[in-house]
Amino acid sequence: MKFKLPFNKKQPLLEKETPKEKESLVRVALTTDHFIQSIKSATNNPADLIIKSIPPNITLIYIDNLVDDQTLNNDIIANLLNNPQETPEAIEMTISIPEIVKSNLLQETVESLVNGSVVIHIDGYPQVLIGNIATRESRALSAPENESQVIGTQVGFNESLTTNISLIRRYIVSPNLCNEKLKIGTRTNTTISLLYMNGIANDQMVNTLRQRITDLYIDELLDSAVLAEMIDDNSLSVFPQMLLTERPDRFCDAILDGKMGVIVDGSSMAIICPQAFTEFFRSQEDQNLRWQIATFLRLLRLAAFFLSVYLTPFYVAAVTFHYEVIPQAFLVPLSESRALVPFPPIFEALLLEFIIELLREAGARLPTKIGQTIGIVGGIVIGTAAVQAGITSNILLIIIALSALASFTSPSYMMGNVIRLIRFPIIILAGFWGFYGIMLAFCFILIHLLRQTSLGAPYMSPFYPPRMKDMRDSLIRMPIPLTAKRTSLTRPKDKNKFEPEPVKPEKS
Amino acid sequence: MNKLRRYFIVLIPFAFLYGCIQTNILDKVGLTTLVGYDVGTEHKMATTAVIREVNPEFQSKVEVLTTENDTSKGNRMEANRKLSKKIMVGQMRVVLFGEDLAKDDLRYYIDTNLENASVNNGIYMAVVEGKTAPLLKYEYKNIEDIGQHIFRLIEQNVKQEYMISATLHQIAHDYYSVGKDLAMPIIKRDGELVELSGVALFKGGKMVSSLSARDSFYVRIVRDTFKVGLYEAVLEKEDVSSQILQKSTNKITIAFDAIHSKREMKLVNAATPEFDLDINIRSRVLEVYPDINLGDPKSVKILEKAIEKKMSKEIVRIIAHSQEVESDIFGFGEKYRSVVRHSNLTKDKWHEMYKNMKVNVKVKFVILRDGVFE
Amino acid sequence: MKNPIQLSPKDMINAYLLFFVVHGAQVGVGIQGFQRVIYQDARQDAWISVLLAGIASHIVTFCMIKTLEIYGSNDLYGIQQDIFGKWIGNLLNALYILYCFIAFFSILRNYIEVIQVWLFPSIGTWFLSATLLIIVIYAFTGGLRVIVGVSFFSIVLSLWIFPMLSFPLKYSVAESLLPILENDVRSILKGAHSMTFTIIGFEILNIIYPFVKDKKNVRKPVHLGLLFTTFIYLSVMMVSITYYSEGKLLKTIWATLTLFSFISFPFIERFEFVAVCFWMLIIIPNMCLYLWAAYRGAIRLVNIRGTTFVWLFSFFVFICTIIVQTRIQINAINTVFGHIAFYVIFVYPILLWILAILKKNFTSKKVHKNEQT
Repeated sequence: MKFKLPFNKKQPLLEKETPKEKESLVRVALTTDHFIQSIKSATNNPADLIIKSIPPNITLIYIDNLVDDQTLNNDIIANLLNNPQETPEAIEMTISIPEIVKSNLLQETVESLVNGSVVIHIDGYPQVLIGNIATRESRALSAPENESQVIGTQVGFNESLTTNISLIRRYIVSPNLCNEKLKIGTRTNTTISLLYMNGIANDQMVNTLRQRITDLYIDELLDSAVLAEMIDDNSLSVFPQMLLTERPDRFCDAILDGKMGVIVDGSSMAIICPQAFTEFFRSQEDQNLRWQIATFLRLLRLAAFFLSVYLTPFYVAAVTFHYEVIPQAFLVPLSESRALVPFPPIFEALLLEFIIELLREAGARLPTKIGQTIGIVGGIVIGTAAVQAGITSNILLIIIALSALASFTSPSYMMGNVIRLIRFPIIILAGFWGFYGIMLAFCFILIHLLRQTSLGAPYMSPFYPPRMKDMRDSLIRMPIPLTAKRTSLTRPKDKNKFEPEPVKPEKS
Repeated sequence: MNKLRRYFIVLIPFAFLYGCIQTNILDKVGLTTLVGYDVGTEHKMATTAVIREVNPEFQSKVEVLTTENDTSKGNRMEANRKLSKKIMVGQMRVVLFGEDLAKDDLRYYIDTNLENASVNNGIYMAVVEGKTAPLLKYEYKNIEDIGQHIFRLIEQNVKQEYMISATLHQIAHDYYSVGKDLAMPIIKRDGELVELSGVALFKGGKMVSSLSARDSFYVRIVRDTFKVGLYEAVLEKEDVSSQILQKSTNKITIAFDAIHSKREMKLVNAATPEFDLDINIRSRVLEVYPDINLGDPKSVKILEKAIEKKMSKEIVRIIAHSQEVESDIFGFGEKYRSVVRHSNLTKDKWHEMYKNMKVNVKVKFVILRDGVFE
Repeated sequence: MKNPIQLSPKDMINAYLLFFVVHGAQVGVGIQGFQRVIYQDARQDAWISVLLAGIASHIVTFCMIKTLEIYGSNDLYGIQQDIFGKWIGNLLNALYILYCFIAFFSILRNYIEVIQVWLFPSIGTWFLSATLLIIVIYAFTGGLRVIVGVSFFSIVLSLWIFPMLSFPLKYSVAESLLPILENDVRSILKGAHSMTFTIIGFEILNIIYPFVKDKKNVRKPVHLGLLFTTFIYLSVMMVSITYYSEGKLLKTIWATLTLFSFISFPFIERFEFVAVCFWMLIIIPNMCLYLWAAYRGAIRLVNIRGTTFVWLFSFFVFICTIIVQTRIQINAINTVFGHIAFYVIFVYPILLWILAILKKNFTSKKVHKNEQT
C-alpha cells in the first residue's frame, strides 16, 4: 500500500526548455541604447535599476542596494574615471575587484544583475563585463536559540549561505570537504549547498540526494524545512526523516560521520541526512560530557519520550476500563479526586491536553517576555481553577503537566512536535478500548517506524537491523576509545574514525 | 481498488465508533472490597458485601449490604438494585465465610471466585466465628471502612508471619491438591475491634476443627518456612533442667524473634506411613523471665534444649489434633505422593492413611544472639 | 532442479536474523495455556514432554535444512513442484497455503478469545479481528524487511516478561515435580504430541530460506532460536507445575496468564491485564509470517499482486472469525489443527527429505548415464 506522494519528485526538467534555450542564446547588443533597452525589458524596468554612463563609452548597470556601494565607488568608478579605457580587456585590467567575468549572453547578464553584480557595457562591443560586488544584509552570528546547550560552542548558523559555509570550513579544515552548489526554484532561484566529505560519504547516497534535489520542480524555496520535507523518503509520515539543525558543530559532526548536509541560502537551519530515529534524541552536548552522564541523559530522554506518549493514555485506560490494576493505596485518592468531575476520563484528558497545547502555542506566538508570563499564569491559574471548578482531577493535571514537560526534553524540535501530536490519537484509543487500544497504537507506531527509511537507510538502525557496534553510540554513549567506527547507517567509505586503541584506564 | 480503499478509510472511523465497549469508570462504580458468605434463611446463601462508593462531596462512603439468593451473581444483581452505582468485584481483597457455611462445603465459593477473571488470585480468605453479617454490620467506633480494615489486619499479620497465609491461590492450590488440606485464619469481633482468633482446619471443603491463635505459630513452622516473626513461649518446670531454673519460679517465659526456620519431611516408612519431621530454627532471644545469663554457653545450651523440648511437644500435640480430625494441613500427603511411586493417591485414600500416620518430630533450636544489653 | 528463486541482495536478510524469525514464529498464543493440555497426559512429567517436543523440533529442522540445501535457493513450494510434478505439486502447495490460513486464523481467534475473557466480554469479535488484521496488513505491505523487523522487536521488547516468572516462584513447591518419570513413556509421548500446537512455527524456515543472504550460516541461528523457545517453554512449564497443584492446573485454562495474576508493583496491580494486551506484540509476527508464507505460495499458483492477496486473505479470515463464536468451536479447531500440524510439521518434512535425496540420486544417475552414452 504505497501512498502516492503529493508532489512528483521524479518529474524531469522538461518545462520551458526550448524557449529558455533560445532566450539564453540572445547575444548582448552592440550599441548601448539597444543594450539598455534589452536589459530594461528583461528585468521589467524596475525602479531600483541604475544606469550610469562614464565617458567615453562605458555604461554601468546595477541594482541599487544589491551592490556594495563602497566597492563600486572606490574600485570601479574611481578607477574608470582616472584611467579611461575603451576596450573590455583594458577595462578588466583597470578594475581592481576579484570576481570579474566576460559574457556575451543576455540571459547570463540579467541573472548576474539580479544577483548583485555590476554590468559594464562598452559601446561597440558585443560583450559585457560582469563584476560581482554583491552585498547581502545578514544578521550577525548569535547563539543557537532552539538548540541551546550548556557545554559546547555558542554559535549558530545565520541566514547567509556564505557565512554558514565559512563557519563549517572553520570547523573542518580539509580539502576533502565537498561543496556543490545547486539552484532550485524557478522563481526564487535559491542557491543551496550540498556538503559532504569526500572519502567518507557514500557516493551512492550523495547521488541519490543530488538527484532528489535536482529533480524537484518547484517555483519557490524559502526555507530548508520545506526542502527537507520534499526530499525525505516518506513525506506523509509524521516522523521527520531528516534532521534540521542550527548548530554548526552538530552539522560538522554529522558530516564527519559520513552524512550529507544541505544548506539553503536564506535559512538558518541546515539539513542533515540520513538520520535514524534514535539520533533525534541525541544532543551535541552528549559528546561534550563524560560518557556516564551522556548515557544517563540519553536514557532519560528516551524514557521521557515514552512517558510523554503513554502516561496519559495509561491513566485514561486504567480509570475508564481497568480499575483492577490500580493499587489499593492509590484507589481512594484517585477516585476521590475524580468524584466531582462530570466528564468521562477521555474527555477530561483531551480537554487538559488541549489547554496545554493552547498555552504552548500562545506562548510561542507571543513576544518572549509575554510568552513566558502567559505560560506561567495560564498554567497555574487555569490549572487551579479547573481543579476547583471540578472540571478535571488534580492527579490528571499532574500527569498531563508531566507528559508535557517530558515532551520538551527532545533535543530536536521537530521530534518534539511529533510527540505532541501522536499523544492525541493514543488517548482516544485508550479512552475507547483501554489497554487494547494503547497496544494497537504501540504496534502501529512500531510497524510504521520500521517501514520508514532515511535516504534508503533503515530508520530504526541500529536496533533493526541490529548492529551491535553502532549501539555503542546510540541509546547509550560508550567512552570515546570504544566508538572508533563510524555508524554503518551512512555506509561510509572509510569505516574508522581513528585507529581503535585500548581504553586508557587510570594509571596507578 | 483505489476507490474501494477510499471508501474503506471513510468507513473505518464509523466502524470503530460502533465498536465502543462498556466502560467501568472508577468513580462511577461501587467497588466491593470485601464479601462475606453466610448460610441464608430462605435461599441458599446470604451475601454481605462491603462496597465503597465515591460521592461528589469528595468523600467515599462504605455501604454494607446483605442480600439473599441462590448464586453469588444473583446476589450481586440483588445488591445492584439497592445501590446507585454498578457493583464491581475487581478490587475485592477479602472473602469471609460464616462458620456454618464453612462447616458445610466451600467448593462452590472457591470455584466461583477462580472462574471470574476479574477476581484477583491474591485475595485473602478467612472464616468468621458465628456469622459474617453481624461482624461486618456492627458500627465500630474507630473503624471507618471495615473492608479495608480487615484486609489490612490480615495482611499485616501474614506479613509479620503471626498468622498463616490463606490467599485464594493457596486455598485453591491446597483444595485441588491430593495430599494437603486447606487452613484459614478465623476472625471474630472483640468489642470495638476485630481480632484474628485462630486457625480453621478443613477436611476437603469442610471445616472440621480449629486451633487457637497461639498455635498458628506452630502450624506455620510445620507448613512453611519462616523468615521473620515473633514468638513467646512459656517453659514449664518439667521442660527445663533445674540447673538454670531459679527457686522462686517454676516457669520461664521467653520471647524470640528474627526466626529462620526450615523444615524437612522425610518418609521413612511408606506402609504405615511414618515421617521424620526435622525442624531447624535459628532465632534471637528478646526477653527471658526470670533472668538467665545468656553469656554463659552452658545455660544457653540448656535453654535451647528446653525450648526444643517444649516446641516438639506442642508440634506433636497439634499434629495429633489434626490427625484426629483428618485434616492434613501440613502437606504430609504431598510428600507421600512425591516419594511413593504409583501411589495413585486420592484425597479420601490419604485421609484414611493420615489417621494412622506416625510422625517423629525433631526440633533443633539455636539461639543466635540476644539484644544489646546483657 | 527448476524454479529457483532469484533475488537481489536488497530483499534478502542476514542469517542471524533467523533466530528472531524462528523464535518469533514459534511463541504466540500457544504459550498462554499449553500447560493444561500436556499435563492431562503427562502429569508431573509434562516438562519432559516439552523437552521431547523441543528435541523433535530440532530433528525436523535438521531435515528441513538438509532438504533445502539440496535445492540451493528454493522454497517448499518450488521443491514440491519439482518432486511431485506440476499437478500434484501445486495441489500440495494449495494445501500448504490452506494450512497457513488455518494457522493464521487459529492464532487470531485464540487471541481474540483471551481478550474477550480477560478484558472485554462485551466487545464484538469482528472489531478485534478487524483491528488486528489492519495492523497485520500494514506490517505485511511493508515487505519482508518489516515483517522480520516486527519479529525482532516483538522478541526484544517482550523479554522483560520472562523475569516475571520469578514472582510465582515464591509459592512454588518443588515436590510437585516428583516423582520423576512416574508416568509411562506413552503418556509422556502423548504429552509431547500435544505440544504441536504450541511449538510449531519454525516451518517458516521452508519459505524464508531463499531470502537468506549467507545460506551457509543458517544452521546456528535457527537451532539457537529453537533452543531458546524450548528453554522458555520448559521454564514456564516448570514454574506452572510447581506453582499449581495438580487439580488446579487441570482446571486453569490460561495457566501462564493466571501465573501473572498476583504480581503487583507499587504502581500497578493485576499484571495479567497488561500482559494480555502486550501479547498482541507477540502474536503479530506470528500472523505476519504465516500470511507471508501463504503469499509466497499464492504467487506460485496464480498471478496475484501482494495487496490484492492480503485483502482477500484477510477478508476470508475475518469471515471465519465471525463464524466461529463459542469456546467449544475454538477448542475443536485447536485440536484438529494440532493433529494436522503434527503431520505437516513433524512427519512430512522427513518424508520430503527422503524423497528429495532419492530424486537427486535418480536424476544425477540419469545425467551420468546420458553423459556416458
